[in-house]
Amino acid sequence: MNSLQSAIDVRDVTKTYDLGDVKVEALRGVSFTIDRGEYVAIMGPSGSGKSTLMNLLGCLDRPTQGHYLLDGTDVSTLSDDELAHIRLKKLGFVFQGFNLLARTSAMKNVALPLFYAGLGTRARNGMAAEQLREVGLGDRMDHKPSELSGGQQQRVAIARALVNDPAVVLADEPTGNLDSQTSEEIMGLFHQLNDGGRTIIMVTHDEDVASHAKRIIRVRDGRIVDDQPTGRG
Amino acid sequence: MRLSQYWAEAFAVLAANRTRTLLTAIGLIIGVMAVISIQVLGVGMAGAVTGVLSIINDNTFFVTPNQQQTDFTRAAIKLSDLQRAKDEVPNVVAAIPGGGQTLRARYGHKTTRVSLGAGTEERFAATTPIRYGRKLTPEDIDNARHVVVVSDKAAEKLGITGDPTGTSVRVGEHRYTIVGLLGKSNEGILAGPQVVDLSIPYSTYEREYARGRLILFARVLMADPSQVIKTEADMQAWLSKVKGGRVEYQTFDRKTIAKSIDGVFGVMTFVVALIGAVSLLVAGIGILNIMLVSVAERTREIGLRKAIGATRFQVLLQFFIEALALSAFGCLVGMVLGIAIGATINSLLIVKLSGIVAPIPWLRSIVIATGFATIVTVAFGTYPAWRAATLDPIEALRYE
Repeated sequence: MNSLQSAIDVRDVTKTYDLGDVKVEALRGVSFTIDRGEYVAIMGPSGSGKSTLMNLLGCLDRPTQGHYLLDGTDVSTLSDDELAHIRLKKLGFVFQGFNLLARTSAMKNVALPLFYAGLGTRARNGMAAEQLREVGLGDRMDHKPSELSGGQQQRVAIARALVNDPAVVLADEPTGNLDSQTSEEIMGLFHQLNDGGRTIIMVTHDEDVASHAKRIIRVRDGRIVDDQPTGRG
Repeated sequence: MRLSQYWAEAFAVLAANRTRTLLTAIGLIIGVMAVISIQVLGVGMAGAVTGVLSIINDNTFFVTPNQQQTDFTRAAIKLSDLQRAKDEVPNVVAAIPGGGQTLRARYGHKTTRVSLGAGTEERFAATTPIRYGRKLTPEDIDNARHVVVVSDKAAEKLGITGDPTGTSVRVGEHRYTIVGLLGKSNEGILAGPQVVDLSIPYSTYEREYARGRLILFARVLMADPSQVIKTEADMQAWLSKVKGGRVEYQTFDRKTIAKSIDGVFGVMTFVVALIGAVSLLVAGIGILNIMLVSVAERTREIGLRKAIGATRFQVLLQFFIEALALSAFGCLVGMVLGIAIGATINSLLIVKLSGIVAPIPWLRSIVIATGFATIVTVAFGTYPAWRAATLDPIEALRYE
């Protein structure tokens, strides 16, 4: 398979944390590819290495060994600022705790990545407004996070993840703080995005949530133990 | 890089934490205020004193025995010494006893104590303007006339109203005809040796009051004021020679007095401004403290910003500008208060007392105070910003 066609290409990646006396092997040689337009759930019990994998996929950390090609670029050996640039251009993050700026309106929250991309106020606000309309919050743009429900806040966060048109959207337990009905709504939104061609990778320990994905990668003890399509899509 | 956005963001954060912002800024406000107002007062006072000295004529200097010497009594100046000086020291027109004596004076039915001193002819006299009549003339001196020029304060003490010329005032056993009344003197806070209540011709003074008395200091009148340095040296050397050597004399003229006063105020201002600087340093530590708290509180926010692509420099800039914004607020308020306090005290106290409006170097004071505050802010604001910039985004996002 041509790596340029894959959104994500992970090759023999290991991650070892050196804690002085002990070395913790969080990932012990992981390889897989995720094509553009896929919707993948990564599952595993705590301590399995799924968070480490997520951090690596999110370019928040570098592998100890092996290579990670994101959208055709080998990011395994980039500097901190180069990784920041990759995150800015190619990744969108959705967190369990939303991580919105409390004193800032929905629109400005969504526009934040564009600020770091160097866009002017008008361009930022225009793009943020459009993205908010896309996640169904066209009428809540000037609301602060505290004035929004949990589901709405997560929609704002998703809009923020999408505003820079990333190659991959990474969602870390995106429904962990939401009730089941709101979770369904957010899952619906992810489906919609995936149908529109977005590549989505979601980390979760919830089988129901994972079942929404088209493919599930199961991690245990730093290795991939299972990699199956769910039969969806 | 849109710096204005960073500033807008920084001021929004400061506005959101009003109490904290204000409390942190108080240190800076006080520091900047103190440095500005103290500089202004120092300069104002030095200026006022220097300005007061301008009543001393350029063609006059003072000579006195050096008070540190062992043989002080041998160095004492006598009237006979002074009378010889004008013939033996080049450029000296006259050397006359300085200072005055406090005596009982009577004008009309009013009796009061006034100071009486040796006066000189107009061109050597203080530059105080005349209100009525005239100042002393060479003829008054040559003939040792019983005439007197009255200061405005003495006029008040003696109950003189209107034009007193032609009337007489009695001092001790002598009666003097008033020939002039001086206007308001700008002697102010400096009651100098020039300033006596009643000035009579020095020839008259020498004859009736100075003979046999100890002369603490003398006024030397010069024909050519441009020779002041040489004449002072000549006078010192001549007096020393007359006294048989090994005695020393000091001289003061307007310039040397002004210089030493400037020096004293300069040191005072510097020391007090240094205390202000220390308070700014303490304020800087306050900024350091509050910025560290702010970084700690917003760890998750920093993690998020880094996750969505902010570089270390962009995060550093955000917190650095926040510290600068805090400092700018403190400087601005401190500046306004400092100027207000400095200007108020200067006009109400110094100018009122001295009657002299010294040019205040506002810009210099402001630049020094805010410049130092900015240096302190940069020094103490960099570390918290650096801490924020180097946070690990994974750790920061996990921070509770």
